Amino acid sequence: MNAKPNARLRIEVDHLCCVGNAMCLALAPGVFAHNESRQSEVANPKGGSREEILDAAENCPTGAISVSDADTGETLFP
Amino acid sequence: MPATATLTDDLFAPEVIADPYTYFGRLREIEPVHWNERFSLWLVTGYDELVWILRHNELFSSAVIRDAAAPPYPPVDPADVPLFDEIRDFRADQLVEKDRPEHFDQRSVVHGYFTPKAMEKWRPFVRAAVEELLDDIQPKGAMDVLTELAAPLPVRIIAEMMGVPYEDRDRLRAMADGILYINRGEPYRFRPLVEAIRGIVDYAAPLVEERIGGEGSDFISVLAGGETCGVFTRHQVLVNTGLLLFAGHETTMNLICNGLLSLIRHPEQWERLRADPEGMARLATEECLRYDPPVKSTQRIVAEDVDLGGRTMRKGQRIRWIMAAANRDPEVFSRADEFDIGRQPNPHLSFGSGIHYCLGATLARVEGQEVFRALAERFERFELAGRPIEYQPSLQFRSVKSLPVRWTA
Repeated sequence: MNAKPNARLRIEVDHLCCVGNAMCLALAPGVFAHNESRQSEVANPKGGSREEILDAAENCPTGAISVSDADTGETLFP
Repeated sequence: MPATATLTDDLFAPEVIADPYTYFGRLREIEPVHWNERFSLWLVTGYDELVWILRHNELFSSAVIRDAAAPPYPPVDPADVPLFDEIRDFRADQLVEKDRPEHFDQRSVVHGYFTPKAMEKWRPFVRAAVEELLDDIQPKGAMDVLTELAAPLPVRIIAEMMGVPYEDRDRLRAMADGILYINRGEPYRFRPLVEAIRGIVDYAAPLVEERIGGEGSDFISVLAGGETCGVFTRHQVLVNTGLLLFAGHETTMNLICNGLLSLIRHPEQWERLRADPEGMARLATEECLRYDPPVKSTQRIVAEDVDLGGRTMRKGQRIRWIMAAANRDPEVFSRADEFDIGRQPNPHLSFGSGIHYCLGATLARVEGQEVFRALAERFERFELAGRPIEYQPSLQFRSVKSLPVRWTA
């Protein structure tokens, strides 16, 4: 990957896929939070390290989380 | 007289077992949160209500077998009743029965094994296993889908995941078949079940001993790693090996049988799949999951008094939700009772939702997609062998007793 280590990240949670498994909340607690339906949403894209965020995306059982470089648009996950 | 008085309360009645969709669909229309007096449990059939319950796990305990196991039903041979305790001890210590915080620690040990990316790596192996089975089957012109394709395929995958040596595969298959008696109705069923449980413990114990502290990436090594870091007891490592063998087998068997049955009964959908097997397999598998799911219902115990759907559920009461019915909720799915392999989006509840969302969903999807793709590529048309399809007398699983089909070889 060419993205700089401190690149701004664009994180999206697809609510048609999110089942509220809550692994992302555990892996990147500063980033993700539950909404009223207990689906995940991005509370603060800078609330965790890049590693934590990519780990959360990879561990989403339904692949609901996508991550890209906010400036270059490069896809980081999936 | 309440409208539900016209519906039988016998959930094991032949017509309810044969066709849960008519019965639970009617219940969903009348009263989506309903108390069944005969079996002393709440039945929830509405989609929104189910999702709410699934996502509020702190209000509903999963320790059902430990805390609220009803007497065996259908009844078992009186001489076998003492075996119930052994079965309960085995099942009550499995991951699926745990609540938070224990559940989170335990699931975290195995969660990474089943990510979508990790399971995608298994696709070539699954594909090859499907082709190998179908190579043997195709020339014969007839098969029982259950015993010849749907049952052996997942066990082949699980054996590989467990790192079971080639020479032990028949033994594993026998244990896997024995553990299916969890879901059966014969009065003698506890005996083969207990034999299978003891067999699994005897077989897995030396493997755990051998692999603990090692570098293995097989599933038994992963579970053993959980013991090393203090999350699992040895007993839990062994019973969760059994959980993989059951949960990954019964359910996948049902996905394949129920899915193929739906495709056979809807020839225009079968032709759609045949026109583009690779392209349609993913959506078709989701619709097979929605329309006739492997798991009809799951249960919990109410952990605190809860108001839902105009009813009050009390702490300690059992609750069973019927995802098979929620999957046909017209509030969520247009043409809900139609089988449409192109349906998108398809937010079915066949894998549940929330923290207990099926750990094996990613594997089930790969297996389903590969089977339906290969069947559509290889076979022009299936015919049912003409006998009415019979189901196991189970509230939880939607399991055919056999699925005989024929084709022109």
